[in-house]
Amino acid sequence: MSATVTDNAPAQDPKPKAGPAAESLGSRLLRALLTQRIVLLSVLIVVVVVVFFIMDSGGYLTAPYDTDYMSSSLINAVPLVMLGLAELLVILSGRGGIDLSVGAIVSLAGMVFGFAYGQWGWPLWFAIILTAAFGGLCGALNGFLVAYIGFPALIATLATYYAFKSLAIVINSQRPISTPPIQELFSITRSVELPVIGGQLPNVPLGIFTFLIPTVVVVWLLLARTTYGRRLYATGTNDVAAKWSGLPVRDTRFKAYVYAGVISGLVAVVTVGQFASARPDAGVSGSGMALPAITIAVLGGVAITGGIGRVAGVVLATLLIVWLNAGILLAFIGNEGSQYQLLALGSVLIFAALLNGITNRRYGGSR
Amino acid sequence: MSLGVNDRPDPGLPASEPPPAPLKARGRVLPSPISGQELVLIAVIAVLWVILAFATPAFFTAGSIQPLLVSTAPIALVGIGMTIIIITGGIDVSVGAAIMVCSVITAKLLVDQGLSLPLAVLVSVIVGALLGAVNGLLIAYGRVHAIIITFGTANVFLFLGLQIFGSNTVNGIPQTFDFFGRGVAGRTLGIPHAFLITIIIAGIAWWYLRHTAGGRHFYAIGGDAHAARLAGVRVQRRILLAYVITGLLVGLGSCFVIAQGTSTLDQSVGTGKELAVIAAVVIGGTSIMGGRGSVLGTLLGALLVQTVTSGVTQLGWNSQLSDLFVGIFIIIAVGADLIRERARRAT
Amino acid sequence: MAAPSSADEAVATPDSGLARLHLTGISKRFGAVRAIRNADLTVKTGQVHALIGENGAGKSTMIKIISGVESADTGRIEFEGAEVSISSTTEAMALGIATVYQEPQLFAELTVSENIFTGREIRKAGRVDWAAQNEKVVELLELLGLPGKYATVAVGSLSIAEQQQVSIAKALAGNAKVLILDEPSAILTDAEIEVLFTVVRRLTASGVSVIYISHRLDELFRIAQQVTVMRDGQTIGTYDIEDLTVRQMAELMVGGILSDDRPERVVPDGEPALVLSGLTRKGKFHNVDVQVKRGEIVGLYGLVGSGVSEIAACIYGMDRATSGQILLNGEPISPRSPQDAQKLGIALLPANRKLEGMFSFQSIAFNISAGHLKLLSRFGVFMDRAREKTVAQDMIKRLAVKTPHERQAIGAMSGGNAQKVVLARQLVERPEVLVLAEPTQGVDVGAKEEIHRIITELAESGSAVLVVTSDLPEALRISDRLQVVRGGTTTVEFGPEATQVDVLAAAAGAVDEKGHAA
Repeated sequence: MSATVTDNAPAQDPKPKAGPAAESLGSRLLRALLTQRIVLLSVLIVVVVVVFFIMDSGGYLTAPYDTDYMSSSLINAVPLVMLGLAELLVILSGRGGIDLSVGAIVSLAGMVFGFAYGQWGWPLWFAIILTAAFGGLCGALNGFLVAYIGFPALIATLATYYAFKSLAIVINSQRPISTPPIQELFSITRSVELPVIGGQLPNVPLGIFTFLIPTVVVVWLLLARTTYGRRLYATGTNDVAAKWSGLPVRDTRFKAYVYAGVISGLVAVVTVGQFASARPDAGVSGSGMALPAITIAVLGGVAITGGIGRVAGVVLATLLIVWLNAGILLAFIGNEGSQYQLLALGSVLIFAALLNGITNRRYGGSR
Repeated sequence: MSLGVNDRPDPGLPASEPPPAPLKARGRVLPSPISGQELVLIAVIAVLWVILAFATPAFFTAGSIQPLLVSTAPIALVGIGMTIIIITGGIDVSVGAAIMVCSVITAKLLVDQGLSLPLAVLVSVIVGALLGAVNGLLIAYGRVHAIIITFGTANVFLFLGLQIFGSNTVNGIPQTFDFFGRGVAGRTLGIPHAFLITIIIAGIAWWYLRHTAGGRHFYAIGGDAHAARLAGVRVQRRILLAYVITGLLVGLGSCFVIAQGTSTLDQSVGTGKELAVIAAVVIGGTSIMGGRGSVLGTLLGALLVQTVTSGVTQLGWNSQLSDLFVGIFIIIAVGADLIRERARRAT
Repeated sequence: MAAPSSADEAVATPDSGLARLHLTGISKRFGAVRAIRNADLTVKTGQVHALIGENGAGKSTMIKIISGVESADTGRIEFEGAEVSISSTTEAMALGIATVYQEPQLFAELTVSENIFTGREIRKAGRVDWAAQNEKVVELLELLGLPGKYATVAVGSLSIAEQQQVSIAKALAGNAKVLILDEPSAILTDAEIEVLFTVVRRLTASGVSVIYISHRLDELFRIAQQVTVMRDGQTIGTYDIEDLTVRQMAELMVGGILSDDRPERVVPDGEPALVLSGLTRKGKFHNVDVQVKRGEIVGLYGLVGSGVSEIAACIYGMDRATSGQILLNGEPISPRSPQDAQKLGIALLPANRKLEGMFSFQSIAFNISAGHLKLLSRFGVFMDRAREKTVAQDMIKRLAVKTPHERQAIGAMSGGNAQKVVLARQLVERPEVLVLAEPTQGVDVGAKEEIHRIITELAESGSAVLVVTSDLPEALRISDRLQVVRGGTTTVEFGPEATQVDVLAAAAGAVDEKGHAA
């Protein structure tokens, strides 16, 4: 039988428009910059920091933008990275995965923590574990609605946002819990000197070590080294192929929301410590914690359709935003700074999204 | 000459179907104007009202129904635009921030320039349309997911609004907008103007979505944007239009919000409104996947949410519980919709 | 009967005056692949012109060129005597060329009337003139044999066959002069096919030209006047339909070359490893009987709509049979999910690589290990990446995948290479039963050979292999036994000595009791 000529539209995927062999160094760098989110973020972090250093030495800032300041501002990174990782997990699971309720879970779990540690006198570790587990329970409700019932994630987490938010306020009749044990928790937000090399380096907020780094490490391990991580990426990349491969798609999605809830529970503990009080509106005041978290995830390279996203991207995106915000705060007087932070957050998100769009068209995707 | 249709086994029709005579297209030409979901909503609202009327005698008085209708108006009005957006498969989480921008600009003009009502409304509507156009252009031509873009523009609009606010509040807003407000000036024959205007605009939107080519094209885009383009629908222009329309309604809705407030406008105006609007649309039966929905449902959804909020207050319960009920209603409404869809697909 | 042989002896094309559509010298390349070479096609006014050929012969590319989806590299197109260039679907539609594909491109939530008129609504004073639109729609529907009241019914609630008819109505509403029907009868019952034919006859009576693509050769006698045969990207010839028999058509499609180079294979004796007995899934297939022994390769050949892919899905647990049995090594099984099937030792290579098989932007190693996470991990939790790497590299070598390393993303690979990777996934743990659905669709010749080699090796190592395919030469080449699936059930079985012509004819329905083509 003579050669079978493939008849349908090319089974070969269209090759990327810029063939690597023919590229100049410049265009290769550009391509790396646009398609490798880690590279782009690192470059932007350097640019931002350098710009603020220059402004500092030129006397334009209201206070010094130095490594001490940068280090102490990292306290804001703790909840942001953690919730960004929570959104990473959920968005990775695909089919429009998203979680609008993380802030509300933070509020509600925070109240639970307030009760356990501040009123019932539980030991700290028990209280933390309870809070994390409770967050996981909230996440399980989300996961159940989305993965097993088939609610669109946007709707399900919108509904639970309302529900958790109101429960948080109602269970203690709108009063925060600020008993002495809670107030003493403020010490967990202090900055500590690093052992051994601490003399040279600025002090680092304790929360980085107690919460941020463990969470980053655990999530990274989960995604990069465990079978669950593979299942999650497979489900998000192509849930039909995942099903044909024998992977438990619904179960995988469900767990993503549970893990997001657990992380939110941990963030609740951090937040209670930061405010030295379990506030019923902790996670939902202003525009809430969900929006910045989703912004961080998208900026960090997560694809809203699922299957693409890395921990490193989320971490770098957070550093960029935190140090950018820290600088903005010093560049303006009074309230102006916090307003410009909004502008920065919004424009950066739009820029990142448009960038995703362009790289998808020109280079067939990014990683 | 008609075919021998009788000869063909037809699983689609009930067995007793006689051969169709040449059909004159009269009577209903589109599927029913009211859907099952909407009928249920009407029933639920009616039941709630009855329960509340018994539980608090004060509920079924003009004094409490009128403010209820007035409060429903801005959410329902913006919801009309949001319905169109969601029908096309998009979404807009920036409407809350947009309300803030329109409100502060309009309020300031009222205070500083003493604008008349028509002029002030015009300004507000134009500002809203501009904001909507920003969203629409980025989404229609930037080929980025609507939710991300509007998260971004929400922040940018917030920044704008806060910048315009300057100090914390705008004080001394005159009575110009009383026509839209809760007071006697805001009513004719007992019906609040804001609510009336909303109903009228909803009627126009309803007609547009059902009886014009452009309106049906929104549904086509939500159903299958690619097929729509192939059929000759101007997809990008329609999407842009959807966001601009919403912007116009945001502008008008902001006037309602100012009217319902005090003479002081706070920076927190508009916060969380986008979620309330989306909740109303979703409860009303519009599918977040696009291709399906109606403004009647959104009106009822907004009315339901407001009834719950108002009822909770009147019963003396913690006002926060209304959020809990909203969440539960969203689950029930969308869940019912899901079940219906699944049943329909199984046949 | 005229014995057709080469293109030179094809029936002379009539004067261009009568021809509505006249293509000459058409060629089209996709990258290194030549889809069509120097093809000609002439369709007369008011004629049903059938276009037949094996998968990969060039039919769909030809259609894409006519309907403006693709542009020809060379050649000339004349429409009603004037030369035209069709470089977009809009241009094709403007000329009056309408295509009805197998997948109806309709808006499920809108009514039939709206679907037909989307983009060209009849307006009156700004609003849609529903009455006028519906009148026209009712006319069209009645022409097609659908009840007029369907005009106001949402398309999503109609059956697939009815939706197809709505697609045809949509094409007609645009005043089509040339209507292309791509495998329309694949999803229709016999009764529905009759209705379709009546409609087609009406259309041609009113001057519409119809290009009819079908694998069901016996049907063509009832509906077409002329048939053009394509093979290997060329048009072999155009014939008046009454001058041919099904067997002759099959011979033309195949090129008269019998299946060759079948290596001698000895199938070990023994109890069958996999038995399907009276397997039925309501609405999809019924009374399917298949047996596969260890070390045997059984082919299931069926065209689109024959139910063959649903049978495969059922064995793998993606779907459940309503009655009948599946026996694995004598034990009845009823897998309820692919996970169940895999635990039982059944593996399946999905038919649609892009949609069902590939994790596009993930690496080769990821794709291979996706189905075997427990195996390639420690305690079932932590990925054993060293082992994964070794397994992937082994597979790359074993299947001759062309790649620098196992970390390359699968999305950029050629069809053949990507298919090998998806196949590799099924082979990590040697399956008891391997079902392969369309194993070489969209795969180049070299990779095809290699994949066939691997399948044979697998059978020799003791697995029972079931190949479900609509690629006839492949089915014959690789199977020890070949069963034809038609109309939802297993029919004639062929042994190794079968010819392509016989099988083709059997699949088209023209066989005598001995199973030979009539």
